Amino acid sequence: MKYAALLGVALATVAAGLLLGPASVPAGEFLRSPIVWQLRLPRVVLAYLVGGALGVAGVGLQALVRNPLADPFLLGLSGGAGLGAVVAIALHLPGPWALPLAAFAGAVGAMVLVYRLGLIGGTGGAGGELDPRILLLGGVAVGAFAAAITTALVSLAEAAELRNAFLWLWGGFSAASWTTVLVMLVYAPLPLAVIAAAARPLDLLALGEEPAQYLGADVRRLKQLVYLAASLLTAAAVAMSGVIGFVGLIVPHVCRLLWGRLHRTLIPTSFLTGGILLAVADTLARTAVAPRELPVGIVTALIGVPLFAFLLRQWTVS
Amino acid sequence: MRRWAHRTHLAGFLACIATACGTGNRAPLSAGITVTDDAGRAVTLARPARRIVSLLPSFTELLFAMGAGDRLVGRTAWCDYPPAALAVPNVGDGMPPNIEAVAARRPDLVVLYRSAQNAPAAAQLERLAIPVVVLDLNQLTDLGHAARILGRLTDRKQSADSLARVMDSAAAQPPAPSTHSLVFIVWDNPPIIIGAGSYLDRLAALAGGRNVFHDIGSPSAQVSIETIAARDPDFVAVLSDSATQPSFAARPEWRVVRAVRRGHFLLLPGQLFGRPSPRVAQAVRELRRRLNGEGGAP
Repeated sequence: MKYAALLGVALATVAAGLLLGPASVPAGEFLRSPIVWQLRLPRVVLAYLVGGALGVAGVGLQALVRNPLADPFLLGLSGGAGLGAVVAIALHLPGPWALPLAAFAGAVGAMVLVYRLGLIGGTGGAGGELDPRILLLGGVAVGAFAAAITTALVSLAEAAELRNAFLWLWGGFSAASWTTVLVMLVYAPLPLAVIAAAARPLDLLALGEEPAQYLGADVRRLKQLVYLAASLLTAAAVAMSGVIGFVGLIVPHVCRLLWGRLHRTLIPTSFLTGGILLAVADTLARTAVAPRELPVGIVTALIGVPLFAFLLRQWTVS
Repeated sequence: MRRWAHRTHLAGFLACIATACGTGNRAPLSAGITVTDDAGRAVTLARPARRIVSLLPSFTELLFAMGAGDRLVGRTAWCDYPPAALAVPNVGDGMPPNIEAVAARRPDLVVLYRSAQNAPAAAQLERLAIPVVVLDLNQLTDLGHAARILGRLTDRKQSADSLARVMDSAAAQPPAPSTHSLVFIVWDNPPIIIGAGSYLDRLAALAGGRNVFHDIGSPSAQVSIETIAARDPDFVAVLSDSATQPSFAARPEWRVVRAVRRGHFLLLPGQLFGRPSPRVAQAVRELRRRLNGEGGAP
């Protein structure tokens, strides 16, 4: 039932994203227009995929660190991605894909560093175990350090274009094309499947690490897999669209309030809801102040926060 | 030599004033130069500025053009024209101004661009008793005004005024009938374009180019590629010192824009096009030539 409703809303969202836009496309040309096929459709699909990926990454990380404030970007990935992007611009790395690739590399670099910091006990990869608290602290520290290097580069370098790297970092779907959609479609299913497969152990983890262990979950492995999968999803999202905060933080909470805490439900609903939120936000960003455009992260917060506050109120009153 | 001549001339002028209002017993306050700058501040110099720090490339160019370039003792990292400017000590990128580096040049006048970011710098320099003149320089029409004020502060009134007249007449020209449309792209992701409130919009109009985003009032704005594609400009203009197309030209989403697909790029060197400058007439000629000639007219 809830899936039928969510799918209906999702389809309506995609349809609205296709029909609405700053350019007027005559109805007769609609099916042939490159504006629809090459710009609107890949953009709304990419926004949906990124929103869904961030929603699922948020679910995974919040379960992993057992902290409702966890956001996929809290673990240092935005700082790493920003550093990668600025380095790509500063070094004039050639090619149309240099910037997203460098951002991805930066995010993965930050992820590896935070992972190593969080891995305690035992030596090397074999015996270590992730400590969620250290992960959070390490993420914040690595993110802050990367951001400091980024800002230093921007203020010291003489390239005026470096300042524009921040514009990119604030997030948006201007770079959407069928190529980016294809990359996301090939890339995202594996980490999504890893998190989806961990639905039941994640439920157990909510009881605490020791009880989960007694109930048969391989907690050590679970934490490593979920952390890596969520981070790789976030790294791809940041490479496609910059740092769009808030989706990964709020969407899991919204889904928990509406449909309960079981991860078997939470993971798919978070994917669908995250996609809806980001696709709606991007459509509004393109159309609300046309011919100008708003940064999508602002719209996400503008529609997401009231929605979230309303649900929270309903929940605390009842 | 010439500077001496000016100074003796000035001395004579002041002596005249002194005798003219010599009936009073107090020394005339008008002994120095006072102008009101674009921030509404009264700027008073005891004598024409001889050690100037210019914190914007346009001001540096204006000072050289009015023959006061030899009085510059500091410039920004961006001030690269005329070539003689490169011999002036660099005081940093000016964003925001490095107050210590500026003060170390012991200037008797600092020329500052009026912006919110520069306001604290003006206040700090004032506390150091360094005279500051704060000027607008966003539009073509600001050039003549800035030249006149700088001319008075440097006692190069005559050449500054004739320079200002040339630039005012360039700014006041009716726009040429537009032969082509264009979009100025400042950044590709997110796409930032130039709107009507900018120097480049006016420059394009003078050269016979219609900015397809003339309806956007602000100097620059973020738009979607879809809007650019729908407005279908003949040319995509980017400020670039390189001769190769920008890297976004190869991205599939940009190739929906006809001018990008056809490679109709105008690569405009930043030194000539990146800022309002006394060489505006040259910039207009150059842009017109590129719109109509080379680069393949559509």
